Amino acid sequence: MAKKSTNMVKYIIKRILMMIPMLFAVLTITFFLSHAMAINPLASEVTGWDMQIYYDEMERLGLNDPIYVQFLNYFRDFFTGNWGESYSGKFEGWLVTDIIITVLPRTLEMMIIPLFIIPIIAVKLGSASAKNRKKKKDIMIRSLAVIGAGFPSFWIAILLQYLFGRVLFEATFFEFDIGIYKANNVLLDPSFPTAIPPPSSLIVMLLLFILMIGGFYLIYRGNKLRKQDKPASKNYIIMLISGILICIIGIVPIMFSIYTYGTKFRLIDSIIFNEPIYFWDTIAHFILPALSMTLVSLAGITRQTRSSMLDVLNQDYIRTARAKGVPEKEIINKHALRNALIPTSNLIIGGTATILLGSIFIEYIFEYPGFGDTFFTSIISGNISLINGCVIVATIILLSSNLIADVMYTIIDPRIIYA
Amino acid sequence: MIEIEKEKKKKNDKPRILLLIIFYLLPGWRVPEFSEQEYEIEKIKSKRRFFRHLLTTLTISGALIILSFVFMGIFVPWLTRFPLQDMVPPSVPGVPYLLPSPGHPLGTTRSGYDVLARMLWGARTSLLMALMPTGLAVGGGLILGIISAYFGGKVDYVLMRVVDLIYSIPTLVIVLILTQILGLNLIDMLMIWGAFAIAGNLRFMRSLVLQIREMLYIKAAKTGGALKFKVMFSHILPNALPPMILTFFGQMAITMLGIAAISFLGLVNAQIPNWGQDIAWSNIYQENILAFLIPGICTGLFSISAMLIGDGLRDAIDPRLKI
Repeated sequence: MAKKSTNMVKYIIKRILMMIPMLFAVLTITFFLSHAMAINPLASEVTGWDMQIYYDEMERLGLNDPIYVQFLNYFRDFFTGNWGESYSGKFEGWLVTDIIITVLPRTLEMMIIPLFIIPIIAVKLGSASAKNRKKKKDIMIRSLAVIGAGFPSFWIAILLQYLFGRVLFEATFFEFDIGIYKANNVLLDPSFPTAIPPPSSLIVMLLLFILMIGGFYLIYRGNKLRKQDKPASKNYIIMLISGILICIIGIVPIMFSIYTYGTKFRLIDSIIFNEPIYFWDTIAHFILPALSMTLVSLAGITRQTRSSMLDVLNQDYIRTARAKGVPEKEIINKHALRNALIPTSNLIIGGTATILLGSIFIEYIFEYPGFGDTFFTSIISGNISLINGCVIVATIILLSSNLIADVMYTIIDPRIIYA
Repeated sequence: MIEIEKEKKKKNDKPRILLLIIFYLLPGWRVPEFSEQEYEIEKIKSKRRFFRHLLTTLTISGALIILSFVFMGIFVPWLTRFPLQDMVPPSVPGVPYLLPSPGHPLGTTRSGYDVLARMLWGARTSLLMALMPTGLAVGGGLILGIISAYFGGKVDYVLMRVVDLIYSIPTLVIVLILTQILGLNLIDMLMIWGAFAIAGNLRFMRSLVLQIREMLYIKAAKTGGALKFKVMFSHILPNALPPMILTFFGQMAITMLGIAAISFLGLVNAQIPNWGQDIAWSNIYQENILAFLIPGICTGLFSISAMLIGDGLRDAIDPRLKI
């Protein structure tokens, strides 16, 4: 057991180290591609034909340098946390890191439903349809899945918007300024702290968080030792005290930074700063975009679960379990589903990045001020540094979701061991 | 020789009752001619079994829908009285958002184009949109996958690193950026999409070939002195083909939706009628909702029927195949 877990840690460290050259390659490719785009990034700056301002701006941003100098400068700045500056649009003059820190939480909180709740429902639906194969229930679920997978998600989104914006127009206002058919595109609320944390403090916070997890683990192990009849050693007291101390050391700066900066997740902020109206407002405004993203992922996971479930139900060990007299419910939930989940888990976790990028269309339709919307406007307006920043963030999410999927394999199926 | 023929004739001439008596009395005895027929019947039977599994209601309806779209795409000029030149932006033919009338069976769009004509001309584009990138992706994955798995070594290493790189890049975004570089050309975009989709097929094909390579008949062919090229393309390829055909239909639906989404964002040549662009141009809050509904339903039906055909084929080829 111990050997396996150390192997696992080694494997994870190896994978994280492998991510670095990939990130370099992606950075290089996107840098040159975004500089090859035939759009003037400062097009909106040129007003009134005052070309001197334009030239000064080009000089200041370093866009007049030769491409290799720009590339080396960008590479140098990238690792010092300075990802450049947005040239145009809503975020003119903002730092790219600041934009991503404010914008990414909005998308992430919208994706609570498609990422965490829908997989559970979809797996249930898939196993139910596999259980009653070729019956009414199965046909209904399958047709729902096919329709969800077949129709374009942006089309469904517009239909939903129409339903709540025109047909149920009056019912959707409740007590909000904006009806729920439209996203609330207020970025920074004055009732929450508007300051944006610097990226270096975020990294410190991440390290502290990992430290805190370690502290909790120490407490857990110490408690386990304490409950034994004959404790092997009296180290558990030291373990407990050090664990609690580490947790306190970790939690104080985190609480302090949350108090000064907020978490930027409107749902969590509204709970911390006690603004219930903002909580319901946020939920009401992300429910429609989330719903229209839901159908696609629901359909894919349901289909996958059904086919792998049918595969598993034909196996010998299911027949053995039935012959043994195991109740049908237990067979489905314990024997079959656990094996059927192996291919599905890849789809669920690997689909994270797909959902994140699929949000481009949904946010474009609902004018939701999230990651996808920022990404798309940056591509349209040729906002080079913002494009690079967004691609890097998307790549990191993609790579880490692949890594998490591979690690989850070992939890779901203990037979799989990474050497 | 003559005697044998005579014997055969004699057997044929024997009365039926005698044959039956022999059949019942002698265990294991079979009418020679009949056993020949039986072999042929078995051959036909396996084909019949394949078709029986294939021809379910869902598969047939999917095939019919796809065929109707193909029919539309081929015979558009005879189906509608509006030529292609009147259906694309520079021409502004008429009144926007007309309700259905004898002149315009499904009404008109925002710029006054006939909805039915846009739909029919769009069918031609969407056939190209579905088939070209998928063909490129599956074909490229097929050939490169065989090469990668069969040669192994450095070729395999380089190809797999490229695949890893493509997997780590968000494809959709790179396609969006590339369309900005290369201009809004439809064919270019389809080629880029297909080229990026090769990666997934390559990995799948590689895993298939690695399984097939260890089969006995491949070893037999190698000991028989078959050339590498012949082993690759006449022994391995036919056996790896059925799963790839299934991925072809699955990917057709995904490609269709993806390219419709890109053209919905307006990143495609407006000179070519296109369902995704029709959705973007239509305004659901205006009078004629059909201008919005028809292109979306067409896109949905096209991808759904592709999926249905894929599912049906999977059930027919091997019900226990995992994809």
